Amino acid sequence: MSEGAKFSEPAVKDEAIDDLGVQSPRSLAEWLTLAITTAVLVTVIGLVIYDWQVSRDRPPAFQITTESVRFTDSRYYVPFTIQNTGGQIVRAVQVRARLHLAEADDEAGEQQIDFLSASERKQGSFVFDHDPHTGELTIRVASFALP
Amino acid sequence: MEANIWMTELRAILRGAAGSFLFGVPLLYTLEIWSIGSSTEAPLLLIVLGTTFIIVLLLTQIEGFRRTLQLRPLEAVLESIEALGIGMICALLALVLLRRITLVTPMTEALGKLVFESVPFSLGVTLARSTLTRPNRNRRRVSLPQRFTSPTLISLRDTLIDIDATLIGAILIAFSIAPTEEIQLIASALPPLWLLLIVAASLLLSYSIVFASGFTDRSERQQRGLLLSPLSETLVTYLVVLLASMLMLIFFQQLNFQEPWQEWLGDTLVLGLPASVGGAAGRLLI
Repeated sequence: MSEGAKFSEPAVKDEAIDDLGVQSPRSLAEWLTLAITTAVLVTVIGLVIYDWQVSRDRPPAFQITTESVRFTDSRYYVPFTIQNTGGQIVRAVQVRARLHLAEADDEAGEQQIDFLSASERKQGSFVFDHDPHTGELTIRVASFALP
Repeated sequence: MEANIWMTELRAILRGAAGSFLFGVPLLYTLEIWSIGSSTEAPLLLIVLGTTFIIVLLLTQIEGFRRTLQLRPLEAVLESIEALGIGMICALLALVLLRRITLVTPMTEALGKLVFESVPFSLGVTLARSTLTRPNRNRRRVSLPQRFTSPTLISLRDTLIDIDATLIGAILIAFSIAPTEEIQLIASALPPLWLLLIVAASLLLSYSIVFASGFTDRSERQQRGLLLSPLSETLVTYLVVLLASMLMLIFFQQLNFQEPWQEWLGDTLVLGLPASVGGAAGRLLI
């Protein structure tokens, strides 16, 4: 169909005829749509730039907090939360736990977290055979990679 | 006249939103997009946004979610901004609905996911009219013998056509999503009552695409088939879509009888969302 034919025959059966055809001046409703969508775009672009400015000078760093030990089925569970307090995304974060016991062999656990973006928290648990309160528990980040 | 302006604009926005979900939903269920978005640096995000805007602008020269057939250059730029904004709002709603963005998601990660998902959603807004307008010509129809032409039988036939079209659309969109692990990933991360929101969103999308966005002549739509009211048609076809989703999941061995019923329910409803978007598009086009 040529362009000319399109305009001379606006009332295609499936299309409502109210708003089909050659452009008329923008209505108030259309201006409102433009205003809202522009505001959304400006906000998102602004946040991207703000986030970039805030986080680019903060190298990756980690904070690990543990919660109270849970005892279930003769095992001790130590839930922990790790947070990337830096401003950059890291991957392959290796978290190691060691329970040093005076009267038995040390116990150790290891976890790898695939992705940890800036300020992101992830949770996990280490599982031990001995009560962590009877020994010395250390949980630390051993290594990580940059994307 | 005043009310008309708002209704026309609302329908245009709903048309854009319908197109954006149809185009964007397959990438929404892609794990890689979430992780690419999470790990992308800000300058690249801005480049992605800029590139998307240029593509949308080029598409707006020939397509768009409004019905205007002739555009001045400035108007094309304004409509592209609107398409990008509508796409972004739809992508945000979808990401929140599927819990890919929550209140505890760090801003960097949320922005990355949002920008990357906005690409297909914005393209979908611009392509809404061309993807969801029903072709008038070359439609195949099986002619019925003379004795089957009573009004009741015609109405039954039209209802079957509707269900058939829903199934085709649902399978076209959801078949490529059903075997992926994203379904279980999303379903397992949903809080218990969140599934109700997924159901509501599926019904709302289906209704908006078929009845509210003005893609078809409403009088024709409402008279077709046994499913008389738009509401009951939306409900019945949603059940068809859920059944199809469950069968697809069983087909790809994502569900088996050892799994708890909660997993059956969750997975089926999560796959039901893209399937109902596909089903609604199917009913428009077939």
